[in-house]
Amino acid sequence: MTVGPVDRDDATAEFFDGTAAGRLLLRRCEQGHYSEPAAAQCTTCASLRLEWAAAAGGASLVSWTITRQPDGAATVLVIAELDEGPWLWSQLVGADPAALAAGLRLAVSFARADAEHETVPVFELAR
Amino acid sequence: MTDSPHPDAGPLSVPAGRRPAIAGLGMTELGKVYGPTSAQFAATAVRRAVADAGLALADVDGLLTSSGVTGGVSVDLQRELGLTDLRLLTHMQAYGSTAGSMVQYASMAVQSGMASVVACVFADSPLRPERRSSAIYGTRHAGAGWWGLLGASGVIGANPMYALAARRHMLRYGTTSEQLGHIAVAQRAWAALNPAAQLREPITLADHQESRWIAEPFHLLDCCLVSNGGIAVIVTTAERAAQLAQPPVHVLGWAQAHPGHHLRRDPDFGLTSGAAQAGPAALAMARLGIGDVDVAQLYDCYTFTVLLTLEDYGFCAKGEGGPFAASGVLGPAGKLLLNTGGGQLSGYYMWGMTPLSEAVIQARGQGGGRQAETHDVILVSGNGGVLDHHSTLVLGSAGAAS
Repeated sequence: MTVGPVDRDDATAEFFDGTAAGRLLLRRCEQGHYSEPAAAQCTTCASLRLEWAAAAGGASLVSWTITRQPDGAATVLVIAELDEGPWLWSQLVGADPAALAAGLRLAVSFARADAEHETVPVFELAR
Repeated sequence: MTDSPHPDAGPLSVPAGRRPAIAGLGMTELGKVYGPTSAQFAATAVRRAVADAGLALADVDGLLTSSGVTGGVSVDLQRELGLTDLRLLTHMQAYGSTAGSMVQYASMAVQSGMASVVACVFADSPLRPERRSSAIYGTRHAGAGWWGLLGASGVIGANPMYALAARRHMLRYGTTSEQLGHIAVAQRAWAALNPAAQLREPITLADHQESRWIAEPFHLLDCCLVSNGGIAVIVTTAERAAQLAQPPVHVLGWAQAHPGHHLRRDPDFGLTSGAAQAGPAALAMARLGIGDVDVAQLYDCYTFTVLLTLEDYGFCAKGEGGPFAASGVLGPAGKLLLNTGGGQLSGYYMWGMTPLSEAVIQARGQGGGRQAETHDVILVSGNGGVLDHHSTLVLGSAGAAS
């Protein structure tokens, strides 16, 4: 299991429609500032007029930590800086923890716990 | 942007008798203490603090309450304690910065005459005989919405969040796990001298390095413990405190800083906290400098929090916290008297009340085998969220208040 189960609620319905279609949706104001998906107002100019806008998918590694499941399996958790600006706290899959470095290029990917739950954005190393 | 607190707004600007002082300290049994609810721990702590000061419950005319991860403490404590003449009553929550902040609001209240005897209390009871601490602090978020998304991604609880902060400091400044280990070892050595500490068996740097990973770069011995219990302090005027049972602990300066970047892009994440703003402001209010500090009690949810606060307060230059911690300056034999009760890493985990209670003990000269020889000026920090909330107090014994 890469990611755990998550259900949508009213606030996240459009976001999870996006992930189901392979798109990471961010919030963007009329001046073009991007905010993280959960933002209710623009983190740059406080505008309340936000629309959903898909991230291009490129990111770079800000920081990481390695946690272990009870069975010893390692999970790499990251802060990734999207090329649009916002940071996401998420998971890095398929990477060797020993080969990580600040600024490493990442690409958005998607994973889900099972067919009953929503699709979650994760990161992998850019190819 | 607003101005920093002006030094002339602080306690030194009011007549000496009206300045705030901590006159009472009440601590319940702390640690694996099972049975009482958080509300009962809180009530016991207030009763003990009142008695410690030489006051009666009926003297209390202000009450500030706060609770930990399990909640359970509220303004209902007024009823539990039979307080019928309160002129100040509020429940507060800014996480680990709350205890210091409570003393600040209590200080302003007594300085203005709004209230004369203010009890400030924290209590929590997360431990159960049958469950591990990770089951309390590592609980998965509710499985829906934005918090559900974070939990589904695996970012659960404070451990990975602070580990991400520490890693960023390591990447930027070359800080190492061994350097963090020096903080853990030094605090355990202090805890060995504190009868109230939960973990008193000395540890070595090798023990730190060999302890299991919690969230790399954090080993188990980088992380605080978890405790049940409650702690309260009584804030009154210096004039009144001078007539009471304990040596007054004067509140000389204070400040808060709440940078507000939680789970958002933050260039300072892991590199600088609100301590960099609140520390100098609190010292300026006290008309003191970092070089005047005799003892420091710094919030230590993790070893890394201590290291970052040392830098931000100016005990060493930014980025040099690692080499500074490893230089031999820490521990009972070092020249920086830091977290002299063992802190939350080895003493007891009462959020901001841990550094505050040890500061009061040291300022009064009641530290027994761990008592600092010179204890005129004591710097106390509180930190909440993931380096999101900060409070600073500058406390002084009688020698510093004149």
